[in-house]
Amino acid sequence: MSAPAVGTVGGPVGGPAGTPAQPGTAAVLRRAAAAEWLRLRTVRTTWWCLLAAAVTTVGLGVAAAADTADPGGPGGVSAVFAGEFGVLLGQLALLVLVVLAVTSEFATGQIGPTLQWTPRRGVLLAARLTVPVVVVTVAGLLLALAADATALLVAPDLGLPLSELAGSLVGVAAVLAAGGVLAVGLGLLLRSTAGALASVFMLQLVLPFLLASFGVEWMEDLAELLPGTAAVWVMLGEPEMTAGAATTVLVGWSAAALVAGGWSLLRRDAA
Amino acid sequence: MIRVLGLTKQYGAVRAVDDLSFDVAPGRVTGFLGPNGAGKSTTMRMVLGLDRPTGGRALVAGRPFAEFAEPLRVVGALLDAGAVHPGRTGRDHLRVAARTSGIPARRVDEVVDQVGLGPAARRRVRGYSLGMRQRLGIATALLGDPGVLLFDEPMNGLDLDGVRWIRRLVRQLAGEGRAVLLSSHLMSEMEQTADHLVIIGRGRLIADASMGEVMRRGRAARTVRVRTPSAGLLAAALMRRGLRVSPAADGDLLVEGTGAETVGDVALEERLAVHGLAEDRSSLEQVYLDLTGDSVEYAVAGLPGEPLAAEPVPVLEVRP
Ligand SMILES: Nc1ncnc2c1ncn2[C@@H]1O[C@H](COP(=O)(O)OP(=O)(O)OP(=O)(O)O)[C@@H](O)[C@H]1O
Ligand SMILES: [Mg+2]
Repeated sequence: MSAPAVGTVGGPVGGPAGTPAQPGTAAVLRRAAAAEWLRLRTVRTTWWCLLAAAVTTVGLGVAAAADTADPGGPGGVSAVFAGEFGVLLGQLALLVLVVLAVTSEFATGQIGPTLQWTPRRGVLLAARLTVPVVVVTVAGLLLALAADATALLVAPDLGLPLSELAGSLVGVAAVLAAGGVLAVGLGLLLRSTAGALASVFMLQLVLPFLLASFGVEWMEDLAELLPGTAAVWVMLGEPEMTAGAATTVLVGWSAAALVAGGWSLLRRDAA
Repeated sequence: MIRVLGLTKQYGAVRAVDDLSFDVAPGRVTGFLGPNGAGKSTTMRMVLGLDRPTGGRALVAGRPFAEFAEPLRVVGALLDAGAVHPGRTGRDHLRVAARTSGIPARRVDEVVDQVGLGPAARRRVRGYSLGMRQRLGIATALLGDPGVLLFDEPMNGLDLDGVRWIRRLVRQLAGEGRAVLLSSHLMSEMEQTADHLVIIGRGRLIADASMGEVMRRGRAARTVRVRTPSAGLLAAALMRRGLRVSPAADGDLLVEGTGAETVGDVALEERLAVHGLAEDRSSLEQVYLDLTGDSVEYAVAGLPGEPLAAEPVPVLEVRP
């Protein structure tokens, strides 16, 4: 590679004399969020995760819903079951997306430049929390809708009552937003992709099912304290749980993870 | 400009930076020197707010770096060229950077051209050579046309063309009135590039002076090389006058701590023939080794702060 001529840098020199008027915090936050969105769009893993989420949510969701619609199936559900069941499984790919958005910068060292570009760490935290969480929530809503519509096409007998649809979508959004915040928090705290993925999967999927599967009472009680159990309740209405308890568990875990992860980003050295 | 005030950083038991104070003035290149582990990178990281100082502070244009809303317009930095997400293209990396500081997107193509990244900018960073990553890092630093620049070993891994290009670029940036802080272990490059030197060892300031002053300090430690058919006699005469003399591998004598005048005068007094007399120009490398000799943290066994002479120097047998 040959060295180019030293071009002119152009423009007035900034610095002490030429420091331009600074934009306000709202503008800085808007730019940080726009940058965050560009970050997500410009790596391939984001698109692979969305593809995996789409295949899982729509594919498995519709298959499960069609199964219940069979004459021999359990019955008693509408097409929203497709979206709900699909999102319960497809959320894993979406949570991978969130974890990678946060932790890959620590693994690659990119967090250094990122903090040079957005040195106000509170601003970075706000952008890094909001953008991936909104992305996976919106993606989950669209995929749930697609699964519901496809299920209705495949098995028109299921029906799709609008009131049920609205409630179902609120649940999908709540589960994905809570899961997304949990993933961001754990990612910022642990800084390691493997560590954050393992913890999120354990809390959100593995432990809730594992603990509940032994039929031991204290294990079931313990499982009800995990965010994954509350997510299943929101989607499928199982196991027995009050709405208040489920909300408390979901919000509690997300808030705790966010506080710990936020502390880590705001207070610790960059790498 | 950059102002470092009593900066201190403790990592567990290691005091990486110890009460360090210096300024980086606009319009000149400040060379930042010190042995491995001296604390150069740590200092730069604290200036950029990446690491939190244990004590003291660093100001850029009079304010802590973390307060700037458009930091890329104030400071451009290349600390670690490898610290880039490998899955993004070079151009996208620059687009993200530009967006954070509200820099127009066309600037991205300008800096890509300026550093000579060319079509590689549209490839993913994963496939970049070290030199291409350095260029991408420099492009990022130049993006916001900042008045302050920090480069941590930017010549690392560059070919000869690349090294010369960085030297010219850095000189030009300082010539335009910017403050440039440049660290490097390449003393000959530093000698040609820097106007001012900040030398640290074990986290502490060793020297903060202009290149001229530092080189003058080294003048006292210059070495004279003499070629003479009467090496033994001349050596004895010089040593009687308290000078350190050692033989070079080719039979010449190396006389330390004095100038050519003294050696010439002694030879005349003793009526000894001299076939050659040369003063080793004291290079920055020699001065630097002299200054930092005590603070080298990771000395190679058997080479504890090598002395000034270029060749190994067994003590001369004096035959009267
Ligand atoms: N994150 C860290 N945790 C613990 N110790 C650290 C950390 N970063 C640096 N150090 C230590 O601080 C000291 C200064 O390191 P630093 O990287 O600043 O040196 P340097 O002058 O840049 O060296 P080099 O010329 O090798 O780049 C070293 O002893 C190093 O081991
Ligand atoms: Mg270093």
